[in-house]
Amino acid sequence: MKLHLTVNGAATALEAEPRTHLADLLRDQLLLTGTHIGCEHGVCGACTVELDGAPARSCLMHAGSCDGATVRTIEGLVDDPVMALLCEAFSAEHALQCGYCTPGMLMTARDIVLRLPEADEDRVREELAGNLCRCTGYRGIVRALLAVLASRRRPGSGDPDSPLSGCLA
Amino acid sequence: MTVSGKGVGASLRRKEDRRFLQGRGRYVGDIRPAGVLEVAFLRSPVAHARLRGVQKPAQGLVFTAADLLEIGPIRANSALPGFRASDQPALARDKLRHVGEPIAACLAESRAAAEDLAAACLPDYEELPAVSDMLAALAPDAPLIHEHWSENAFLETKREDEVADLDAIAAAKVRRRLRTARQSMAPIEGRGVIAEWDPRLEQLIVTSSTQMPHVTKSGIAECLGLDEGQVRVISPDVGGGFGYKGILLAEELVCAALAIRLGRPVRWLEDRLEQLTANANCREHFYDVTAWADAEGRLLACEVEAVVDAGAYSAYPFSACLEAAQIGSIFPGPYTLPRFRFRTVSACTNKPPILPYRGVARTGVCFAMETTLDALARQLGIDAAAIRAINLVPPEAMPYRNLVGKVFDSGDYPEALRRAVAAIDVAALRARQAAGETVGLGLAVFCEQGAHGTSVYHGWGIPFVPGFEQAQARFTPDGVLELRVGLHSHGQGLETTLAQVAHEVLGVDPARVRLVHGDTALTPYSTGTWGSRAMVMAGGAVAEACRQLGERALTIGAALLQAPREACVLRDGAIVQGEAKVTLDEVARTWYRRPQNLPREVDKGGLEVTAGYRPDPDTGTHSYAAHAVVARVDRETGAVVLEQYVIVEDGGTLVNPMIVDGQVLGGTAQGIGTALYEEMPFDAQGQPLAGTLADYLLPGASEVPDITIEHMVTPSPWTRFGQKGIGESGAIGPPAAIVNAINDALARFGAEVTDLPATPARVLAALAKVGAA
Repeated sequence: MKLHLTVNGAATALEAEPRTHLADLLRDQLLLTGTHIGCEHGVCGACTVELDGAPARSCLMHAGSCDGATVRTIEGLVDDPVMALLCEAFSAEHALQCGYCTPGMLMTARDIVLRLPEADEDRVREELAGNLCRCTGYRGIVRALLAVLASRRRPGSGDPDSPLSGCLA
Repeated sequence: MTVSGKGVGASLRRKEDRRFLQGRGRYVGDIRPAGVLEVAFLRSPVAHARLRGVQKPAQGLVFTAADLLEIGPIRANSALPGFRASDQPALARDKLRHVGEPIAACLAESRAAAEDLAAACLPDYEELPAVSDMLAALAPDAPLIHEHWSENAFLETKREDEVADLDAIAAAKVRRRLRTARQSMAPIEGRGVIAEWDPRLEQLIVTSSTQMPHVTKSGIAECLGLDEGQVRVISPDVGGGFGYKGILLAEELVCAALAIRLGRPVRWLEDRLEQLTANANCREHFYDVTAWADAEGRLLACEVEAVVDAGAYSAYPFSACLEAAQIGSIFPGPYTLPRFRFRTVSACTNKPPILPYRGVARTGVCFAMETTLDALARQLGIDAAAIRAINLVPPEAMPYRNLVGKVFDSGDYPEALRRAVAAIDVAALRARQAAGETVGLGLAVFCEQGAHGTSVYHGWGIPFVPGFEQAQARFTPDGVLELRVGLHSHGQGLETTLAQVAHEVLGVDPARVRLVHGDTALTPYSTGTWGSRAMVMAGGAVAEACRQLGERALTIGAALLQAPREACVLRDGAIVQGEAKVTLDEVARTWYRRPQNLPREVDKGGLEVTAGYRPDPDTGTHSYAAHAVVARVDRETGAVVLEQYVIVEDGGTLVNPMIVDGQVLGGTAQGIGTALYEEMPFDAQGQPLAGTLADYLLPGASEVPDITIEHMVTPSPWTRFGQKGIGESGAIGPPAAIVNAINDALARFGAEVTDLPATPARVLAALAKVGAA
């Protein structure tokens, strides 16, 4: 079947079998392999992408049901200021080891930062329930998120010279 | 540490982070060679059956064992007396021995189409009674899994110290029967294999998500009858290992044979259903422990009957007996046990073959020993900390050789215990208990042997006895330092830590150090990353290679300075004499591009060194830790909440403390999974009952508390920088500490949990057993 998607800002015409899920489409046809596949039943969160502005499990979405949608993947957020803060904080807090859950984790983390600016540690942990990490024990991830939330609550956090802004050198 | 703050001891941020954070890691599933055929395996739907044949669909590429006779069986022998080796066919031949065993490989342009083919195959089999429980497997009338064996056991080991006199002497005696559950290691990335035949090089190239590319290469060559030079194994970024990827895979052999046969690349990517059902392969132990102590809690002896469910085959290279046989050597733990009697059995069952999971046998052993100590303490009416303190190896006894010959290198075990307990407000906890709250304190102390080598493993006689580790160090013409090692990173951050080691020796900025690993064509041979050995072994080898490289650079630099060699030193990445200096970049440029400026006495080996390393003695480093946990039990639901989790850990010199903390935290999260959540139950027919991550529960962010880690630093006297292997440590202590906390909370009811995981159902059952539910 034919479908149209806007992926990372680019309008794209694609063709997929009806049973193809969005994650396979992104990875196999658009070579966006930053979206990882961990369980293909919606539990681990490694495949999380932004679909029409909200996080979604790309392994549970039939590609065909996404016709007309706008999708953003980890590759499309390299210049995103919130993602830049998160990347910096993830590295500083050692919030990743093997890196496999990391893109999905970052997609969820970005959503938490934007949607819940006042979130505390308990809330952050609860919100991360849909993203499994087998390496870190989560402490670094939680601390990174709390650091970004705190930095954005500080006055003048939009300042490009603030210590947490800018992508990883 | 060097003055730069980037050498050994620095919490340097990881060099590998950037690519992972931008989604640019490259895992097997991200690689798709042109013309690739995807493989789906037809797998056994039953645990035990005689296989008569497979009816293939009329169309399509389907290969059974009969089509791939060039693949020899996987055979992981052990030299331990009495070991029964199994022949594991890459594709089942005449028998099916566990659910998920591969029967046929089905190939198509897409995985979905390959799965359609697999679904169209009809295996013809006659079901046999399954052996799904390790204790039932050993019954005299149990059906035999390998029919030419006399019993369903790979190996039995024993030690027969006298214990008959102890009942009359001891002030306390306890006996406990304990069980741990079968688990799946469940890295978030599954296994994956791409095999290609390069007709120009006449070489098979296997890209596999493996922790041990060189061992995999040797295993493939062995089973396919190829020269080792005809096989190259590449391990790209690996999305978590934990032991799951420390094995020669049947799937690697099948993909390799098919790539040769078809002249096309073939790829197999494990899905989560395959991982959970075909490969739930670790941690399942049974213990019957009896322990005797004097009135002060001093251990007089332990008697242990232990059975490990080793599954249907002996996995390559670690064999089916590594866990059970090791119980005999590690059960005494960090204690001065005077007498020890044991019998261990590696039971053969209709389940996936056992693999050593992070911590290996120690997680079960620690659980058995530490819960037994608490039972003794309760019977004697003494404190859980006191019974440990009186039995721990004292620091003045180091290095200490225990009764089974384990040699502990260094450390102050009682101090770790003291610090862990001091971090808990014990008085407040006891007050809460007195007020009727169901809360408890749990302790566990253990040590972790890591980086043990030839002197330990030669006795096991497994296919690969680890010995020396090599590393290559070389300058490229622009002065970048390239390191090549044969072991592989699957999250440990070796690109960073080995650069720190090189920086410590040569002063080259870690940003200008490049690690090449994960490719047998580019690196020296290594048994791989397992057994908490990477930082000790590769760290030692890289340091030695860099030292020798520095010597060569010194000769060239001194000549360029027109100074006597003895007057020059290597400092901060330059050859220095007084105020004058020549950078290593300039030395490299001279060697490669300006040979006319080289001194006569230059080493013709150039700026490229392969050096080897082995600690002496190589009986292993012993890191150790004390875990202290406060847990609250909900009497109504049986749910357990971890209120506080404290770890005091000694890994010797820490090359990168941030990364060490990460290893300890991640291991502890896995240990919490073992303690409270993770279980792959099998029914009486040998069917695995948890097919998704909604049934097989991995700890999430809300299940893992904010863990506190305190470090002690007692360098190992036997390693290059005093570092100790510590990668598995975190996964060892949690089941023991958490169950001890639960049992402390339940003590006023006289209830005890004895089986893992301590799920709400098991906690409620423990209460019901004493009429307290």
